[in-house]
Amino acid sequence: MSENAMDLLKSEAKNLNFYYGEYQALKNINLTVAEKRITALIGPSGCGKSTFLRCFNRMHDLYPGNRYDGQITLYPDDVNILNPKIDPIEVRMRIGMVFQKPNPFPKTIYENVAYGLRVRGISNRRKLDEKVEKALCGAALWNEVKDRLNSLAFNLSGGQQQRLCIARALATDPEMMLFDEPTSALDPIATASIEELIAQLKEQVTILIVTHNMQQAARVSDYTAFMHMGEVVEFADTNTIFTNPSQKRTEDYITGRYG
Amino acid sequence: MEPLDTHISRQYNADLENIRTLVLQMGGLVEQQIEHAITSLVQGNVALAEAVIVADFKVNNLEVTIDEDCNQIIARRQPTAGDLRLVLMVIKTITDLERIGDEAEKIARMAVQLINEERPKNNYTEIQTLGTHVRQMVHNALDAYARMDTVAAVRVAGDDRQIDKEYEGIMRQMITFMMEDPRTITRALHVMWAARALERIGDHARNICEYVIYQVKGKDVRHISLEQMEKEVVGNS
Amino acid sequence: MPGMSVEVMRGLIARRKRWDIIFSIIGLFAMLGGVVTLVALIAAMAIDGLPRISWDFFTSFPSRHAAKAGILSAWVGTTLVMMVTVLSAVPLGVAAGVYLEEYATKNWMTDLIEINVTNLAGVPSIVYGLLALGLFVYQLDLGQSILAAGLTLAILILPVVIVATREAIRSIPGTIREGAFALGATKWQTVSQHVLPYSTAGILTGVIIGLSRAIGETAPLITIGALTYIAFLPDTPFKGEFPYVSFDWLTSAFTVMPIQMFNWVSRPQEEFHYNAAAAGLVLIVMTLIMNALAIYIRYHFRKRIKW
Repeated sequence: MSENAMDLLKSEAKNLNFYYGEYQALKNINLTVAEKRITALIGPSGCGKSTFLRCFNRMHDLYPGNRYDGQITLYPDDVNILNPKIDPIEVRMRIGMVFQKPNPFPKTIYENVAYGLRVRGISNRRKLDEKVEKALCGAALWNEVKDRLNSLAFNLSGGQQQRLCIARALATDPEMMLFDEPTSALDPIATASIEELIAQLKEQVTILIVTHNMQQAARVSDYTAFMHMGEVVEFADTNTIFTNPSQKRTEDYITGRYG
Repeated sequence: MEPLDTHISRQYNADLENIRTLVLQMGGLVEQQIEHAITSLVQGNVALAEAVIVADFKVNNLEVTIDEDCNQIIARRQPTAGDLRLVLMVIKTITDLERIGDEAEKIARMAVQLINEERPKNNYTEIQTLGTHVRQMVHNALDAYARMDTVAAVRVAGDDRQIDKEYEGIMRQMITFMMEDPRTITRALHVMWAARALERIGDHARNICEYVIYQVKGKDVRHISLEQMEKEVVGNS
Repeated sequence: MPGMSVEVMRGLIARRKRWDIIFSIIGLFAMLGGVVTLVALIAAMAIDGLPRISWDFFTSFPSRHAAKAGILSAWVGTTLVMMVTVLSAVPLGVAAGVYLEEYATKNWMTDLIEINVTNLAGVPSIVYGLLALGLFVYQLDLGQSILAAGLTLAILILPVVIVATREAIRSIPGTIREGAFALGATKWQTVSQHVLPYSTAGILTGVIIGLSRAIGETAPLITIGALTYIAFLPDTPFKGEFPYVSFDWLTSAFTVMPIQMFNWVSRPQEEFHYNAAAAGLVLIVMTLIMNALAIYIRYHFRKRIKW
């Protein structure tokens, strides 16, 4: 694992607060996301890690009564993606997301991967073919599905479905990818293959991952943030967090003590 | 360091407590070995020396047992942070304790050899003095370990300098003896071996002190000067 | 052993299971009561009507002579009215359902609308007839036409279509919707490319169930003035020469199956009652075919979708 001060900044949350109606779910969050590195968010259930993740693609805009305060800056163009003037669709076209439960569309494998491209108005068959193959290769799924691109996505196994969802997000060349507990519905072998895939993906894309599996954060990430009750308690490189955290709350959580 | 008995899993608490207890037990055994080895040499007690040689297997057995327990904890619990450092340092500490045991056995073997030699007029006072200091240092190091006391650990680590000086003194003395009277060469060589073993024990005790500091502070203080070590311990505790 | 001997435990289990047996017997009789009655009714109708069913029965206009009378104008009328109903109720109902589920913000207004829509489905059909008489026949001056009848029945089944649409949309998991949005889809892209295609089965099922209710409706159509005796067919919708389609049939007078039945039943002669039984049989078969279609559609679309 390589972490050093030379890492470029891809995104940065500054004084971020988030409210579900009256309830404040995130409290004054400051966090940096290094480019082409994996940053993990860990913490107990309800600590706000998924809420924080979903700020990055403005998923909260889909539901009424949610309110952001503060900013999340995306580099290199230094734009605040929480700015109401920025269309959430623009943000989602730059930042892809993979969900907790594999959620392929009830369409063919090919159409699932091509969907993001079609949304962007690409309909040239050759171009689609090329991008779909590239994305499926990128998600380490091409060899398994290349002979049945036109069969339904639901016929794949859980792990394959999740890799399909990764391919779907990858097809549009996002700058950053959000993973919301991507392996919590999978068995250990499928989990291992998704983890390996995520580790490879950091060659090409910045990754922010929420996981309730601490060992997973320890295995795949370069940086780890421990969140508790809507705050970032500690943020450091993963080695430090898992061998010598500076906050008692972090130590208690990762060593399995009473909080 | 967090208290060990606060994990959600009670079995985990018990497992960690168990290896710590075993390390202290092993430490006690090793201390006793050193004491008996020195006594046998100074008093020319062959029976005691042979008992020390035989008893070394107990130390070795404990090392193997604790090693296995640590492997189990790593495999089943994947310890992190303070727990991880605790287990890692237990593994290193028992290696040093086992070496100390070996050194004690070496001294006992020298005691057996020295029976055939004429006893010197000073009745091996120099070994007696050095031995007492070394044994005290091991005792203090284990005490710092038991209490996870970093300040004591730094102080005990500093004692190693005194030990080294005493060892050099014995060396010079023996060289003088050998030059004065070549008939004492065999005996002097044996004494030098025993002194050398005691000096090594001091080094191992110092290592244990360094492990205590790493375990508590998460800072690696090996291969740095005492002054730096002190700074690390006092700084942001 | 947890507190009791195995013998005692077995006794307890046997005693408790006695109720299983008692209830299964009660349930069986309750079920038989309903089914036997229904089967008897259909059988009686079939015995009366079956001999009358022939090719001529479908191709003849009603007549003063029971033996010559047929249901031609009735089934053509029913078919045309249903066409109007489907073509107006489905777009309206689906659009309303999609709007309420996907676009409207959830507040007391939408709650109120939701309660009203659900209640409308239970309003007696004659009330719709009165409404249609005022609105379509007089206000919009559509007359006693197929168009007016079709629109009347459309209003009648609109609540069913809306509710079915909303239920179908609600059964799509939120993660699928979020998946589309996360790829940068707009709301319209999400609705038209995901929500509607995946809820087609549910919507179609709802539409067909609505239609099988509408096909048997008599009261509202009588209210707006459907004729009971029609010896001609409306203008055909499709023509041999340019412009190939015609909408004249929409304004034509009409009758439908249940009204034809009602007409025959109210005659004193025994022979006409057999005609009514035969027409009833045809109507039941039509309804059964529609329900079978609904089941098939549900099965067919569900095969592709697992969540």
